[in-house]
Amino acid sequence: MNYFKNIKNAFKFKNCINYIIVGAMLIISLVMSSMGELPRSSADLLAQMGYSILLAVSLNLVVGFLGELSLGHAGFMCVGAYIGCYFANSLYEVIDSKLLVLIISMLIGGSVAAVFGLIIGLPALRLKGDYLAIVTLAFGEIVRTIFKNQPAFGAALGLSTKRFGSDLYIVALIVVLISLFLIQNIIRSKHGRAITAIRDNEIAAKAMGINITYYKLFVFVFAAFFAGVAGVIFGSKVTPVTYSFFSFNYSIEILVMVVLGGMGNITGSIISAVFITYLNFQLQDKLPGELAALKYLVYAIILILVVIYNNAPKLAALREKLSISNAISSKKKSKNPAAQHDDKNRWDVVPTKIPMDEIVSTDLKQEKAYTPDKPEKGGTE
Amino acid sequence: MLSTLFDGLSLGAIYALIALGYTMVYGIAKMLNFAHGDIIMVGAYTILTTLTMNGHPIIGVVAAVLVCTVAGIVIEKVAYKPLRGASPLAVLITAIGVSYFLQSVAQLIFGSKSQAVQLASFGTVKIANAEINIGTLITLVVGAVIMIALTLFVKYTRTGRAMQAVSEDRGAAQLMGVNVNKIIMITFAIGSALAAAAGVFYLLQIPAVSPTLGSMPGIKAFAAAVIGGIGSIPGAMLGGVVLGVVEKFALSVPALAPYATAIEFALLILILLVRPIGILGKKRREKV
Amino acid sequence: MKTFKKVVAAAMSLALIGSCFAGCGAKNAKSGAAGEYTANNTEYFIGSTGPLTGDAASYGISVNNGAMLAVEEINAAGGLNGVKFKFEMKDDKATAQDATTGYNSLYEAGMQISLGSVTTDSCDSFATSAVEDNLFYITPSASAAKVIDGRDNGFRVCFGDPDQGTLAADYIVETYKNAGVIYNTSDSYSMGVYEAFKAEMGVKGATFTEATFDAENNKDFSTQIATLKDCDVIFLPMYYTEGSLICKAATAKGCKADLIGTDGFDGIADLIDSKTVSNKVKYITPFDAESKNETVSKFVESYKAKYGKTPDQFAADGYDAIYAIYNAMKAAGVNDVTIAPSDLCETVKASITASDFSLTGATGTMTWDATGACHKELQFKDVL
Repeated sequence: MNYFKNIKNAFKFKNCINYIIVGAMLIISLVMSSMGELPRSSADLLAQMGYSILLAVSLNLVVGFLGELSLGHAGFMCVGAYIGCYFANSLYEVIDSKLLVLIISMLIGGSVAAVFGLIIGLPALRLKGDYLAIVTLAFGEIVRTIFKNQPAFGAALGLSTKRFGSDLYIVALIVVLISLFLIQNIIRSKHGRAITAIRDNEIAAKAMGINITYYKLFVFVFAAFFAGVAGVIFGSKVTPVTYSFFSFNYSIEILVMVVLGGMGNITGSIISAVFITYLNFQLQDKLPGELAALKYLVYAIILILVVIYNNAPKLAALREKLSISNAISSKKKSKNPAAQHDDKNRWDVVPTKIPMDEIVSTDLKQEKAYTPDKPEKGGTE
Repeated sequence: MLSTLFDGLSLGAIYALIALGYTMVYGIAKMLNFAHGDIIMVGAYTILTTLTMNGHPIIGVVAAVLVCTVAGIVIEKVAYKPLRGASPLAVLITAIGVSYFLQSVAQLIFGSKSQAVQLASFGTVKIANAEINIGTLITLVVGAVIMIALTLFVKYTRTGRAMQAVSEDRGAAQLMGVNVNKIIMITFAIGSALAAAAGVFYLLQIPAVSPTLGSMPGIKAFAAAVIGGIGSIPGAMLGGVVLGVVEKFALSVPALAPYATAIEFALLILILLVRPIGILGKKRREKV
Repeated sequence: MKTFKKVVAAAMSLALIGSCFAGCGAKNAKSGAAGEYTANNTEYFIGSTGPLTGDAASYGISVNNGAMLAVEEINAAGGLNGVKFKFEMKDDKATAQDATTGYNSLYEAGMQISLGSVTTDSCDSFATSAVEDNLFYITPSASAAKVIDGRDNGFRVCFGDPDQGTLAADYIVETYKNAGVIYNTSDSYSMGVYEAFKAEMGVKGATFTEATFDAENNKDFSTQIATLKDCDVIFLPMYYTEGSLICKAATAKGCKADLIGTDGFDGIADLIDSKTVSNKVKYITPFDAESKNETVSKFVESYKAKYGKTPDQFAADGYDAIYAIYNAMKAAGVNDVTIAPSDLCETVKASITASDFSLTGATGTMTWDATGACHKELQFKDVL
């Protein structure tokens, strides 16, 4: 019984939407390409969007679902790109099919990156929050410095890689679809719930018997794998692959995509990855010379404003007023108030995270009035 | 060898001054101010502007300290205060935004090219058959004086004790009549002033300024603060000095020199693995 | 509610994707056969990419200025058989991926011939695409050997890194006893010159002390100077920004060595003076703005008149690169403004490597061989 219900659920719109977006991109571009209307720059841009989506979604796994801040995501991409493309260079001499070489090198790059994800995950078990952030940042820099100095990988000149050609975007988007399938299935299973439970309250999760070590390592390895694959796609598009691309700044750009899209929100990550890649492309073209700094200025201001708007406790009332979801649900409520309780999906909109010092010093806070336990807030108002 | 040691100590003093800013803000306002490194850049550009207007270097230094302090206070009020009580991740991301903001404004005003800033030219002095630049010595001495002054300030003055109180238990401090907002503002002000001083010493060693000046030193100083134990003032000083000395010694060995940054960060990871709260950090108990 | 939000999200993203295709489809954009992008050209389109922002911005801006000056002069003199030239440089921030993006937009806008890229990594990336399309490129400044190696459509105006390294080694072995070198491990230009220097020193049987730095992370050179304190000459194959810092550090540390740089040192005169640096400083360059040579002084005059400052070597290289293209096209009798890039490439290649072809420009008298390398005279220029 449940089995068929699960399958039926899988085809509901809200579960499919990610596939629809990426699938639409793929189909539209294939159609245009067959009509000869797809210029090389668009094909390039689509491939770039492909690996940006992979990066944003995989970082979202760590930051949004596990709740740990990782500032070294570009480091995983770096490992995947260098090692995957290094093997690709050798494989091209043995294997004729470009596609096969790409697939094998993606798997190699992803796996090696996953190993590094394990290496980073191990300190993650002992460290919390800001400390983990700095360790991931350090990792990214270490990886970059090591590759920078290896003659085998081209040292400062970078690794010369073979371009895959203008069909790369097709492979990239298909890889994105496959990855989405894998990621979404994990998220929607009991494993995904365990991961978000760790984010919300680690000690309670441990008390419920969730194996923290296993899941933390799992998320890092999983996320690193996809970052590595993204790196190989990048390496098949850009040559030479140089260490300077995988800087801390790029890790931040990926983080911006995740934050803008909403943490824990995969659809949001996809949209913001596409949007930011597109924005970068347009701005690079249109802003001449020193005005290019204007782009970072606008970026920075948007980032600050969006984050403050979304997170400032004092703006909570303003957010409630302007929220689209509340506007819709207030209409729904008037129809059938009782239905709210049956809606299984409502519970994950509600923030269940209860910071410890809010509980401890709740009476001493001057700004906020006393509020009851959080879970009730979403369900009954 | 001795020359490398002095260089390391003086670089360590610079990192320590920046790390102090990070650690104080973290301990008292409970947030990571990623934009701290860029305050150095603001100070350096202030000095450049003063020198271009034919002002005396001392005026430049004073102006830098003033401008940085004001900048720090403004940033706190505009970007961080609205987020008090929000998740640390949100604050961190805003801080990153502020950092980019400062860098792009600097680039729009001054251009992205590196510009020379000749603050002062010092000769060298011979100490035990090593040529030590006087600027290095000045950095060491003045840096040490500033750090001692800060420690005394925090320990013995009323405001200093109030800062300690806020860092230990904000709610209780508020109950005891401490104006938390004012204390946080003062913390940012002091941190930024220290960053300005770090900027001055930095310019003495490397007489050039560019919009991305503060980015790497900021990250390294952050690492230094974490090594020493974030939230602890002596920890920041220790971490800064350790990192500076390690960096200079790594650079002086030709085989290790290209990996100097990697070595510093590897040291960070190592120390964190062995002692997760940092060398002098305080253990925080997590209650359920 | 959640579904509604997702519908909105989907609609927005589809609109976004649609708009990016809309913009692209509008041009004469048919992917595929060569020559289809140039069918609507009314001027000969010379393209290039270079760093117009970022740390290397001064190089890109200089090349851009020099090239634009040349194009204006040519157009004012009537162009080629009455047809004018158009030059555009896209900003690549000295990175490989932006160079490719720039290449693509230029190519789709009708680029027929190019100046490649200004910096080495970008030019390597540009060249990979140029080889696929058989587009001719002559880079004013990307000097690493691999930029034109094995690519018969690639040429350069500047010296290769190996040439400078070899020349420096020969000069140093003749003139000094105790040589040292400091080089930048994070920069392909620096590494390229250093490798050639090391090889030639090995050939001459001479030894030297070395120190390295990584410009990304370390801007303080006291340690390196300390390592080389006994040298009487220090070779500095790097760009002028770090070069100026090393010169100042040498003085600050009481090092008395002569400091010799390569063509990347052009521009250092703005950053150092006799008050801050007491050592003797000179560098290898084909271009001397103070030269009394007629072609050079005419160029310097026009550049100053147009831009208000003295041109550096990059500007001179950009200027010469444009004239090289123009002269080669003129000698080959090119007459079709819609000529496809590939055809133009073959024509210009044959013309520029012809044994009677030479160009006297701002950087001297140059000839080219089939490998794409440029032959001209090198000289030392004293700064302090």
